[in-house]
Amino acid sequence: MKKIMSWLIILMTVGIALLAGTTQPAQAADDSLTRIKDKGTLVMGTSPDYPPYEFLVNRHGKDQVVGMDVDIAKKVAHDLGVKLVVKKMDFDSLLVALETNKVDMVLAGMSPTPARQKSIDFSKIYYRGGQSIVINKTDKGIYHNKNSFRNKAMGAQTGSIQYNLGKKQIAGSKMKGLAKISDLILALKSHKVEGVIMEEPSAQAYVDNDSNLAMLKNSQFNLGSGENNTAIGFRKGSPALVNAVNRSIDEITQKKLTQGYLKHAGTYMQTNTKNTGMWHYSSYFVKGVAYTLLITIISVFFGILLGVIFALMRLSKVKLLHALGVAYIEFVRGTPLMIQVMFVYFGIGLFVNIPALIAGIIAVSLNSAAYVAEIIRGGINSVAVGQKEAARSLGLSRQQTFKSVVFPQALKNIWPALGNEFISLIKESSIVSIIGVTDLIYQLKAVQTATYKGVMPIVVAMLIYFILTFSLSKLLNFYERKMKHDA
Amino acid sequence: MMPEMIKIENVTKKFGQTEVLKDLNGQVQKGQVICVIGPSGGGKSTFLRCLNLLEQPTSGKISFEGQELTSLSEAQINHLREKMGMVFQSFNLFSNMTVLDNVQLAPLKVKKLAAATAKKTAMQLLAQVGLADKAENYPSSLSGGQQQRVAIARALAMNPDVMLFDEPTSALDPEMVGEVLTVMQDLANQGMTMVVVTHEMGFAKSVANQVWFMDGGVFAEKGTPTQIFEHPQNERTKAFLAKILEA
Repeated sequence: MKKIMSWLIILMTVGIALLAGTTQPAQAADDSLTRIKDKGTLVMGTSPDYPPYEFLVNRHGKDQVVGMDVDIAKKVAHDLGVKLVVKKMDFDSLLVALETNKVDMVLAGMSPTPARQKSIDFSKIYYRGGQSIVINKTDKGIYHNKNSFRNKAMGAQTGSIQYNLGKKQIAGSKMKGLAKISDLILALKSHKVEGVIMEEPSAQAYVDNDSNLAMLKNSQFNLGSGENNTAIGFRKGSPALVNAVNRSIDEITQKKLTQGYLKHAGTYMQTNTKNTGMWHYSSYFVKGVAYTLLITIISVFFGILLGVIFALMRLSKVKLLHALGVAYIEFVRGTPLMIQVMFVYFGIGLFVNIPALIAGIIAVSLNSAAYVAEIIRGGINSVAVGQKEAARSLGLSRQQTFKSVVFPQALKNIWPALGNEFISLIKESSIVSIIGVTDLIYQLKAVQTATYKGVMPIVVAMLIYFILTFSLSKLLNFYERKMKHDA
Repeated sequence: MMPEMIKIENVTKKFGQTEVLKDLNGQVQKGQVICVIGPSGGGKSTFLRCLNLLEQPTSGKISFEGQELTSLSEAQINHLREKMGMVFQSFNLFSNMTVLDNVQLAPLKVKKLAAATAKKTAMQLLAQVGLADKAENYPSSLSGGQQQRVAIARALAMNPDVMLFDEPTSALDPEMVGEVLTVMQDLANQGMTMVVVTHEMGFAKSVANQVWFMDGGVFAEKGTPTQIFEHPQNERTKAFLAKILEA
């Protein structure tokens, strides 16, 4: 255990040092292009909730990212002679994913602003769209352009150009940032915001598919050089790769290929919205439940295993073990699970390439271990001291006493609390959706994006979560009663 | 001359700044029954718990069958405790085990006896304390008196050379005191060496070879039951007995 702890500490220190280091421009020779060719794959990072740029469709029971950006990426990969791999994640996480080598390029309707150009490289522009504002159709008479939104609440994707535009160019605007466009549309419909700023093609897609929405095409935003353009993002200091990709973009521009790509995307959107009943998307939810349960069950197993070890460390009379136990438990309980998930995926991922699912399971297990350790410690402390004394007075050793007398009784005391931890893990594991693990929450967002329906998928997911947790708590109660009966 | 089983020399015990035991001396011969009496808070239980090192004396020496205890390793202490059975005021039966498992746990785990042998001995002991029919019950379904009799059987299962009783009847309803004292009396009749901390003056009078009166962390007076109960010399002994008899 000591070994693992010191490894963790080393990893953390090196991780922090390296994260700080990556902000410096790379001095090494530019091997960006040869690296791609050597490994034979080009990994594209995207946030597939932005039709027609990128969105999810269900084909042959599997969800697949499609859209204009995917078609462009396919062409780029084809021209480079490598295979395209698409990685899904939240828009906020894309730049970190580039910096930490999780992806080779980002296509997500991203505009090459000066601020972004400081941290990543961009290809040539592949698409010029305007910025539009989506509103509720019933408000069509009230709002005409951006200036109508003085002192009104408006929404845009967190970390996006649109967010900054609204903030800077609408007097007294109250900008609300959400990670997903589908959530923003929901906020719009429930009048949490009065308008949502988004790219014109994307706005068009939503308006085409939802008769309650309208768009203001001429939003009158004062757009700087990069702000209505879309380009591909690369890791800083990879001119070789950028140049190679630019040749593909030149061809796309010359042949006006984007028109075809947009049309292609449109056909997917129609099949997507043909049947927006929740039953039609049941496979999404089933997959989400499977992943949520997988993550929870594995994490409970390792959480309990590690939790016992950390609890024993904390209860240990050996000062070093005790200190390490306390340090781990307090540190993990003192930091949000979300940050731990990001740290494992992006931070430790710098050294070892951990797939998102494994990273999620590791983070959730390590997190749960700290809570389980405290539950177990409490359970052990709650066993009457006389039980221990009686065992020791019979000549049982410390270990024998713990194994035969203290632990079985502690287990009975901690069972209900352990059950609660299991149940809350089902819910809390949803945080792994931020790194693109297709758990129930992630699938919920996918269904929202695919169907242009906001509330129904939420209701379905909520019911599923309830059924999971409720049946689990009934099951645990059954065993709890059984244990009581025995004694 | 009979060999000393336990020898106590200049034993003191401090909890923080409080001195609970002050320079105790005494000897227990094989086959003797010693009853330790005295007011609550006088240090009787602490003294008894020092004998099997559930409490570590702050200074002084305790020898058991010629072996000095305070310098032993943990493994040696475990081995020593096999030969010193202890019965607690609050029974302390293992609540996660049946009566039978309570009795045969230590023979199985510590003495590594074969399962059949351990069970046979355990059942004999349970029969001896009159509880063979409760072997499969859990402690929570037993009365206090029954639990304490099981606890005695559990201690006897290790075939100890001496039995330490820490106020074995204090937590019992009055009607259950008798059944436990009877078991203890039988033990004494069989020649078991016993150190009994008790408030049962009747038991002390009829069974003890020696009565040690303890107050304020010292043995204020030691003597035969007749000496202590009929002709107490120490003022504190007199005051204590007067109070007990009044009640």
